[in-house]
Amino acid sequence: MLEQRIINYILEELHSGQSDLKILPEDDLLGSGLVESMGMMRLIQFVEDDNGIKVPPQDMTIENFMTVAAMVEYIDRTKNNG
Amino acid sequence: MIYLLPHTITESARRFPDREAFRFGKVSLTYRKMEKRMNQLAGVLQTLGIKKGDRIGIYLNRSIETAISIFGILQAGGVYVPIDPKAPVTRSQFLIEDCEIKILITQLAQRKKISQITKDKNNIHTIIGLSEMEGVKTISWESVFTASAEYNSPFRILEKDLAYIIYTSGSTGQPKGIMHTHYSGLSYARLTADLYQITEQDRIGNHAPIHFDICTLGYFTSPLVGACTVIASDAATVFPASLGKLITEEALTIWYSVPLALVQILQNGVLADQALPHLRWVLYAGEPFPPKYLRTLMQQWSDTRFSNVYGPTETNACTYYNLPEIPMTDDPIPIGQVWKNTDYLILDEEGKEVAPGTTGELLICSATQMLGYWRNPALTEKSLYRVLATTGQESVFYKTGDLVKEEDGILHFLGRKDFQIKIRGHRVELGAIEACLVAHASVREAAVYTVRISEESLKIVAAVISSSDSEASVINLLEFLKEKLPLYAVPEEIKIVKDFPRTSSGKIKRGALVAAL
Repeated sequence: MLEQRIINYILEELHSGQSDLKILPEDDLLGSGLVESMGMMRLIQFVEDDNGIKVPPQDMTIENFMTVAAMVEYIDRTKNNG
Repeated sequence: MIYLLPHTITESARRFPDREAFRFGKVSLTYRKMEKRMNQLAGVLQTLGIKKGDRIGIYLNRSIETAISIFGILQAGGVYVPIDPKAPVTRSQFLIEDCEIKILITQLAQRKKISQITKDKNNIHTIIGLSEMEGVKTISWESVFTASAEYNSPFRILEKDLAYIIYTSGSTGQPKGIMHTHYSGLSYARLTADLYQITEQDRIGNHAPIHFDICTLGYFTSPLVGACTVIASDAATVFPASLGKLITEEALTIWYSVPLALVQILQNGVLADQALPHLRWVLYAGEPFPPKYLRTLMQQWSDTRFSNVYGPTETNACTYYNLPEIPMTDDPIPIGQVWKNTDYLILDEEGKEVAPGTTGELLICSATQMLGYWRNPALTEKSLYRVLATTGQESVFYKTGDLVKEEDGILHFLGRKDFQIKIRGHRVELGAIEACLVAHASVREAAVYTVRISEESLKIVAAVISSSDSEASVINLLEFLKEKLPLYAVPEEIKIVKDFPRTSSGKIKRGALVAAL
């Protein structure tokens, strides 16, 4: 499932599998420090590759990428429109 | 009479009670409300037994609470110490111990990190901003905001008293705490308000975190004149399109950030076809702005004036250069002239003043200068240069460690003193090599450093990030540099990288970069 794939990517790639870490779909990723700015760029790259989409600059916003839930919603929307 | 930083709030609350003081996302405080919040927090700190000069840590993301914390602490007679929540736990612990911080102000998002910080031994007895935490007293923001707003200071605070301590990494070893007073903060506010004609009509975009002194325009200058500071969220600083939206939707009139943020807004801020008639000034500081990007930005934002601001944290801003026109060459932008009431010297290695046009170290004596380094009188003394005038009056200059030259009254920045190396007997400015690399169309950013290859010789290595529209090639770059630089200054190695390790304010972490490559 998309949501879990994104969470796994954050845990495994951005936090090298730190076992005590828990991420909820509604967690503010940047505000809580779960993801740093460089990590966010890698995460967007992952989302693009994983879903076969290209995120244009105007879509790289807080509204679309602040939480895992927001990302899932954005990806669904993009795929349905594309 | 305004003579302390919190007076800027009380005075603006009197003059412009209903004007917006700070805005963060949908949350906004008028000056009247801001004064109330400031006094509520000061009162809470008073009940906790704060004494004049006590250091209070601010461990917050950019938020409306950062403004309340700064002024609440100052109003209560305390000294605020910004602690970057993005910094490693060990660094935060070092700051807390070094400053003997007993009260920490924070927010729910930092709960986990706070528990790591307070887990080991330290003196923190109270945390404001959380509703529970094992082993320490907590006071939630809700209870601060329902506390009494009646506050009377039991202390006599003077303008030369300490107001805040900002820690910088320092090129070697331990972070050092730079102490600033109410006087230095207010001097900065008055100088900037005067120079950029900032009034209550202005809306200032605050991009910098509070441990970076660029933020003082939004936190000190703005309340002095009754303007509004719009604080960008930490998340917005990651997304250029969100920053672009902030500039247009909030109708910002002044923007101040590091050049990198502006380059990102230029490339991905989605503002290309938008007019920005409200944006009067763009100020930038922290690093040189590659002229090729500045040129495009100035062409796009043709109604806006641009100012290059320079100054180490020790002096806050001390020189400025208001660009008279769009730069058409790739020559570095000058740092310009010193602020009003600021003195400077340019000294050679023997400590003699250099002739105009000759390179030397810049020394600054200004009203915005620091008091010294926290609990480090030896380092303070080492960084200062005292001049006794014939009148018997002593001027104290801060040695910036930056190399400059003066031409026709305009100062040109040439790089860090410790960034100047000798290679095969030639003096080389690593910063000049970086500027040269960035002038190439395929390069967005460059960092040049040296690697010791034997006891007596160094080699120059360059790391570059490709620009968004073309991929950098090592061979092309070497050819390009050979045309522009003496052969001994051409790097022996060029590495193309995706990004550099950075501080949370966007500056390149050079030590980490060299270690990583």
